[in-house]
Amino acid sequence: MPPVEVQIGVRPENRPTVPPVRSRASWHVRANAVVLAWLALTIAAALAQGELPAPRWLVVHVFLLGAISTAILIWSEHFATVLLRARTPDPRGSVARLGALNAGTVAVLYGVAVGPWPVAAAGAALAVGAVTWHAAVLVGIVRRALPGRFGHVVGWYVAAAGALVAGGVLGGLLAAQPGGGALHERAQAAHAQLNLLGWVGLTVLGTLFTLWPTVLRTRISELTRRWSRAALWLSVAGLAVTVAGLLPGLRWVAVAGLVTYAVAVAVALAPPVETLRRRRPHTAASWTLAAGVVWFEVALVAEVVVVATRPVVRVAAGLEPLLPLILAGFAGQVLIGSLTHLLPAVLGGGPPRFKRNAALIERGWAYRLAATNLGVPLLALPVPVPLRLLGWALVLAPAAAFVALAVTALTRTVSAGTGPAGTGAAGTGAAGTGSAGTAAVGTGPAASGAGVGPPGGGRRSRVSPAHVGVVIGCLLTALAVVGAMSGGSGPARTRVAPGAEQTVEVTLRGMRVQPGVIEAEPGTVLTLKVVNADAQRHDLRLSTGERTPELAPGESAVLKLAPLAGAVDGWCTLAGHRAAGMTMRIVPTTAAAARPVQSSPPGGDHGHTQGARLDPAAPMPSGWKPFEAAVEPAPSGAEHHVEIRVKETDLDVAPGVRQRMWTFNGTLPGPVLRGRVGDLFVVTFVNDGAMGHGIDFHAGALAPDEPMRTIDPGERLTYRFRAAHAGAWLYHCSTMPMSQHIANGMYGAVIIDPPGLPPVDREYVLVQGELYLGTPDARAVAVNEGRPDGWMFNGAVAGYKHAPLTAKAGERARIWVVTAGPGTGTAFHVVGAPFDTVYKEGAYLLREGDPGGAQVLDLAPAQGGFAELVFPETGHYPFVDHHMRRAETGASGIFEVSAP
Amino acid sequence: MTWWTVVRFLHVLSAALWVGGQLTVSLVVLPLARRMLDTDRRADVLRAVGRRFGLFTGAVFLPVQLATGVAIAVHKGVTWASLAEPGYGRTLAAKLLLFCVVMVAAALHGWATGRRPGIARALAVISLVGSVGIVLLATALPAT
Repeated sequence: MPPVEVQIGVRPENRPTVPPVRSRASWHVRANAVVLAWLALTIAAALAQGELPAPRWLVVHVFLLGAISTAILIWSEHFATVLLRARTPDPRGSVARLGALNAGTVAVLYGVAVGPWPVAAAGAALAVGAVTWHAAVLVGIVRRALPGRFGHVVGWYVAAAGALVAGGVLGGLLAAQPGGGALHERAQAAHAQLNLLGWVGLTVLGTLFTLWPTVLRTRISELTRRWSRAALWLSVAGLAVTVAGLLPGLRWVAVAGLVTYAVAVAVALAPPVETLRRRRPHTAASWTLAAGVVWFEVALVAEVVVVATRPVVRVAAGLEPLLPLILAGFAGQVLIGSLTHLLPAVLGGGPPRFKRNAALIERGWAYRLAATNLGVPLLALPVPVPLRLLGWALVLAPAAAFVALAVTALTRTVSAGTGPAGTGAAGTGAAGTGSAGTAAVGTGPAASGAGVGPPGGGRRSRVSPAHVGVVIGCLLTALAVVGAMSGGSGPARTRVAPGAEQTVEVTLRGMRVQPGVIEAEPGTVLTLKVVNADAQRHDLRLSTGERTPELAPGESAVLKLAPLAGAVDGWCTLAGHRAAGMTMRIVPTTAAAARPVQSSPPGGDHGHTQGARLDPAAPMPSGWKPFEAAVEPAPSGAEHHVEIRVKETDLDVAPGVRQRMWTFNGTLPGPVLRGRVGDLFVVTFVNDGAMGHGIDFHAGALAPDEPMRTIDPGERLTYRFRAAHAGAWLYHCSTMPMSQHIANGMYGAVIIDPPGLPPVDREYVLVQGELYLGTPDARAVAVNEGRPDGWMFNGAVAGYKHAPLTAKAGERARIWVVTAGPGTGTAFHVVGAPFDTVYKEGAYLLREGDPGGAQVLDLAPAQGGFAELVFPETGHYPFVDHHMRRAETGASGIFEVSAP
Repeated sequence: MTWWTVVRFLHVLSAALWVGGQLTVSLVVLPLARRMLDTDRRADVLRAVGRRFGLFTGAVFLPVQLATGVAIAVHKGVTWASLAEPGYGRTLAAKLLLFCVVMVAAALHGWATGRRPGIARALAVISLVGSVGIVLLATALPAT
């Protein structure tokens, strides 16, 4: 039997089955257009990372769930059909599966990025359903097919689908977010492994057995069948053990599983490598595929190291740097390499059009390959920002070029007329293709075993010397520019000054600069090696003008100073850090001996006079609306999903004072959360601010390590807590220095009703906090010295004097009070209406019906409670913090009680 | 306007001639020669152009550039150690390294011409693009 060539849709005189084949080509045009669209969307998402919610997550999932999963669905079905020479499955089913997967993907992307979470969970379920159906179809194909040499390949596809089902279910659960923090992290690690190593990895490995020899246009290795079977069992076992280790947090079990999986990969790659000994890669597809597989191996080894060296809860975070290797290096290149080979073949149109399409899709492949593989390590390694940007450009530009070329090829095919299925009047393609007609894989019939490539396919890319020159010249220039820009923009003048040179290591850690004082002889040329050894970002600026860029944890920078002439001050410029003590001083030795370095922060002595004067009685600006103090009863349901975004917002904090505050969701205080004892709160915390922030809910009982960690701008985390105890609880930013973050407005209240809390006529919540005025620096100093300029109920000085809270005579009101501080509490008092009920920090001090009464609800900073009263008659009842200075500078408001 | 202005002027002028000459040959002379001359005459003309340009490089460009460049550096107080400093020092160092690479590429181009035409062409383009890169780095050096 002669080998089957890929001459789809031509020679009608030889092949009576042309119309269905044509429609097959049109199916591939449309199906692969979806893949290319997802790929284009991935590139767009990567370019727009700064603008998107959950940028990294979106890029990963648009690519893997969109482009890669769609491609897997299309091509694994195609390979299974062709290799087993089975009937093409009902195309309506294929369309339905593809549609379901894509609809599910869109729902997952939308649900996670924008919410609500049930949309994401439903999307995950839909995608899992589509893949399950797909696996069932594949199993059906194997059942019906005659025993052949390629049945083993379908085993890989079914195993991959199984992995996706498990991984997808985990993903759906993650989107729905039950359970605690550590479990969530472990589930995320397992989810990633199942989908990357299982769904993507197993599919690729299974496909390579036949695709690789086809691409190389050589025989399929004799080793294939036996080794494939062994590798499949081993890899599935390895993956299962990995997941079984990750989920309960057994690190060494996970490592053992990963090692097993790596061994399985080595076994699976043995036949392709054996093939390699006969025939070297020589085409665009073969080189690109080879590069992809190499990155897979690199990533696997790195993964074993990551899992072996850190606790399981940190595995998901530790794998992040490997993502570029797996996504761009492995999955992206395997996808592009396969499509480079397969697209011209399935688009049909006879040898002339095949040649044109192949030439088009392969255009400039050597440059694209080189750029991608240069870019991938730049994205994965901790390199300076300009190099990272270069890495993005090197990875994204070739991908975009491929999309453009492939889209052109698809468009050409459509416009050439064989495209739409409507032209084939004779059949729908559901029948009659069981013969060798559609062997686009290029594998020969089982008997001959000869893998035969597309006619004329895979020419070498002819590289023009001028192009080589341009590329090398540009690379050299880029290298030179990077070298020139390294080390930041240093002093603009070179000096040849006398004096010894000296290098001092300066460490930034725990709101301190170490050493705090450097003494050197006048004229010394000092070089500071600044290392950020803290868990958050810092920089160092000197009064002489030198400064480091903002350093992420672990980063370092070198500052070279001019010859030392006088004392030089240094400090961290991040908001509040200088005031918190991140200062240093370089002093000439003589001066140091004469005058000890002052320990008080610079600028401390004039901070107060800078503050604007407060006039609580002045009018608030028109259009100002007070924070809603009336609080709704706890919503029904035992789970509450909230999104809290850090925003820097300009707010009217006092009459005539509009100030940039750091807020949760743009309000001061942040949103009020309310529930009952036992309720689960799932908070999606997003940092849209300009610096690192975190969040800490006093109402939850959990290890702070993960949920309360500081996240960088653009990142998000999910914070789950179960409200085990009733009370009025504070939540606040958990990033040091907390005094600064709280003073800037990052706080809010969580109300957990005590069981049996009786309903009342009115319920209010008041969160009391301090107000600091002036420039950020002046405010920071004042916070540090505990010198507030005013006090606020719900984010405005005397706000409820300007917009009184209303009630009717005879009504019972319950007033929840939480103190945010950062430094002061409250002595909450309502003039003219004694409390008959007082609940403070989880316990009733006084109940309605007791003979006694109370005049003040006293709360230390970060405490909470409520008081109840009945307004005896109409009138105006001031409420104040009875620490009178605070009342007079803003902690005051009015209940306006009207006739019932 | 001091004597140092004249030195800097010579430095810039000579660089302009070198980069501009390469651009002119690549963008103007080569395409025209390809279109208007037959193979033999084209080879002769281009070889002659190349030889003349090489002569200019060796006899005028390199001596002027090195002399004025070293003079400006000494005048500005540049030392070997200062070349490693971020900012001016590193930019200058990168520019010098790129200059060396371009000179090597140009020399190899002369050697490869006639022997390995493909390599010669690639080297010529490397030299051209690299020269433009040097101009870029030169403009990044703060003027003082």
